[in-house]
Amino acid sequence: MLVSMNQSRRRFLQSSIGGAAAIGVGAAMPACFADAATAGNQEQERILVVVQLSGGNDGLNTVVPYADDHYRSARPKLAIPISDVLKLDDDTGLHPSIRGMHDLLQDGQFVAVRGVGYERPNRSHFESMDIWHTCRRKNEPRPDGWLGRFMDQQPESAGGDVPALHLGHESQPAAIASTSIRVPTVKTLAEFQLHGNDKQALRELLQTNRPVKPTQDNELLDFLQSSTTSAIAASQRVSEAAAGYRSDVTYPKTELGNKLRVVAQLIDAGLTTRVYYIQHDGFDTHAQQTETHSILLRQWSDAVTALIRDLDAHDHGKRVCVMTFSEFGRRVSENASEGTDHGAAGPMFLCGGGVKAGIVGKRPDLTDLQDGDLKHEFDFRQVYASVLQSWLGADPTAILGKDYQPLPLFG
Amino acid sequence: MNEMQTIDPDWAWQPFEPTSQRPWDRSLAAHLYRRSGFGADLARIDQAVMRTPAEVVSELISNNQETPDFRSTADSLAEATLAGGDPAKLSAAWVYRLLYTPNQLLEKMTLFWHGHFATGAEKVNDARMMWNQNQLLREHALGDFGRLVHQISADPAMLIYLDSAKNRKAHPNENFARELMELFCLGEGNYGETDVLELARCFTGWEIKNKKFRKNRYQHDSGIKSVLQQRGDFDGDDGVRIVLEQPATQTFIARKLYRFFVSEERSPTDALLQPLANLFRESDLQIAPVVERILGSNLFFSSNSVACRIKSPVELVMGMLRSLHATTNTQLVGRGLKNIGQGLFYPPNVKGWDGGRAWINSSTLLGRANLIADILENEATRFDGGSLSECLDRREVQTPDQAIRYFEQCLLSVPLDDATRIQIQESVESISGDTERQMRAILHALTSLPICQLA
Repeated sequence: MLVSMNQSRRRFLQSSIGGAAAIGVGAAMPACFADAATAGNQEQERILVVVQLSGGNDGLNTVVPYADDHYRSARPKLAIPISDVLKLDDDTGLHPSIRGMHDLLQDGQFVAVRGVGYERPNRSHFESMDIWHTCRRKNEPRPDGWLGRFMDQQPESAGGDVPALHLGHESQPAAIASTSIRVPTVKTLAEFQLHGNDKQALRELLQTNRPVKPTQDNELLDFLQSSTTSAIAASQRVSEAAAGYRSDVTYPKTELGNKLRVVAQLIDAGLTTRVYYIQHDGFDTHAQQTETHSILLRQWSDAVTALIRDLDAHDHGKRVCVMTFSEFGRRVSENASEGTDHGAAGPMFLCGGGVKAGIVGKRPDLTDLQDGDLKHEFDFRQVYASVLQSWLGADPTAILGKDYQPLPLFG
Repeated sequence: MNEMQTIDPDWAWQPFEPTSQRPWDRSLAAHLYRRSGFGADLARIDQAVMRTPAEVVSELISNNQETPDFRSTADSLAEATLAGGDPAKLSAAWVYRLLYTPNQLLEKMTLFWHGHFATGAEKVNDARMMWNQNQLLREHALGDFGRLVHQISADPAMLIYLDSAKNRKAHPNENFARELMELFCLGEGNYGETDVLELARCFTGWEIKNKKFRKNRYQHDSGIKSVLQQRGDFDGDDGVRIVLEQPATQTFIARKLYRFFVSEERSPTDALLQPLANLFRESDLQIAPVVERILGSNLFFSSNSVACRIKSPVELVMGMLRSLHATTNTQLVGRGLKNIGQGLFYPPNVKGWDGGRAWINSSTLLGRANLIADILENEATRFDGGSLSECLDRREVQTPDQAIRYFEQCLLSVPLDDATRIQIQESVESISGDTERQMRAILHALTSLPICQLA
């Protein structure tokens, strides 16, 4: 298994060296690739892929308390029929659309944590998302996010790859905002190249890291200049990295599937990037929820399962963890539009070869609600603390602001 | 933050008086045209310099409705798009207006309100409804904020976007009520969760039936509600009125206009915004007086504003095109803008575009350079009806150095450094036999530079 990894790594390095030599600039191979060729231990570093379900995923219809009468009475139209539930035990099952997750659970590669939330839940999408991203309330300063603070803790990698990558069209999530590191956003690998007749001259112009004249003391211009330099550098690295990827796994032909395939390519190419961030939007199901929610869950489950299988096949399965969360769950009672309104606590999910598989947390108590919403059993920062400590090998207290009791989520 | 506290609010909003350090010149006139609209050519900038800043601002404000001629041309083009029914093509119809309108401030404010009352075509999925909303925003863009909010509350596209097309007595839909307070009028922290529930009851019975708004009195909860400390058997119109009466409204909108026109970098103090907020309230929530005060103010022409914003994708692309009287394929521009984060009719979510530094990342920076390249290479692109070199030649711009200086005056908010100037010149030396290609390469390089992303 180790051989296949080394082969793919060698293939990638050969192809980029060969490519450089072919256009007559053999000696000018970017420093990062030269580093990558010698930095063997980097391969063991663990990677976190975050999948954000935006809009508020209906957790009760994802991990389903199918035998609970209160569930059926609160959801006369939306409850998942008992016969459809993918049953795990006598009272809990999974939504029928997430068979991929069900299979991962059987294979010991899936853990769901139920009842995750926080004190005084905020029901605004943006505010609640900001709380999950920054771990701070609105009245506190929040210049960065929890993953941004994780990156800040890491030793600086001279000429290395970007510490985190955001894939998507959306604006960057605050979770990866850092006061010292700028994280690039990539949509597709093909789009990540300059066009036009003069692209070579333009690349040289934009690459130049020009010191700003003291007379032009403009922070915003500094920001734009460093962003531009990092955009050009990242563009070259990323497009060369994925050139020779081969895979037998078929990813679903969805936006999420495409993004996760790119993640697999980049991981397999040996990038030292530790965090990948992907959003999957549309979970704000206020009306006609059944069909929409089912499609969204299937897209999520199929794409993440494909990624896990693909990483396994390329022998990266043991060093990648996919963490899924949403800014809140939904109201326990359905509304009159066959949908659900903004709620509070909900489940989180971790997938990959390193997790301790199972369902963590109690069955939600539908008779003990706050304003119609589920109370949380775990603070989301307990899950972050586990991921930071047990998976990424970081000090969670400094990142999360105080001590949170980690959960046994990793084997 | 600290710097903001040192700005004297009285000085900030007084009419700008040019001084010897800060004269009313091409640079400040270009700043006014870029911020209040998308940009002007050098001839227009020179005309403005001959007048006072207040005169120029007052003219921009008074052009608050489209001429009937322009309106009918723009509308008939939009109708052709609407006949196809594809909302994705609607962006191009708006690009036409952005490119040709003689009322740039009106169009800029329409874009502002689109970001404020953000509604996405992907979900509404009805081109006609999206277009009607766009016309509503334009009609009130420099008009009465209160009327705008009342009408947007009954706007089919908005209510569908916020899942509020059905709103029954037994199950009030909280979504519109929440966003009305959180995002449209007051801001988070200026209402409680109970206000959301009670306000939602006011809107019960408001629904969209056969694509039209109507009040269904059988579904209206006629009981007593308690909204923001007022009690009564309120309906939706009362609910909107009560929200608009809150003092938070004038500060919230003043802050948003400040971000749009002045700077998104540092958060202004409430004290700095107070004169604008007071003016907004004293003018019965009329929009034009506040915008006029901002655009003519000391602060707007100061170093706290000039070069202190990042151009939105629309500002970058339209600025380049309008300063050279350029026309191009509007579909290409519509698609391209979406690709770099500002799809017209496709805001990212109900909060609209975050703006500022959020516009910028590796992907959008490359995308900006690439969209300009695609426009320059598109066969439909014309400058003043012809080639770029002809257009510049008529303005007595013939050499690379002259071209760089010409573009610099229209497009940049701070002067170009000499090293970059020389590097651009050198990069086009090898193609000196082809003036058209040279000029395009210079324009492409200049618009792709970090400095050109500053508004």
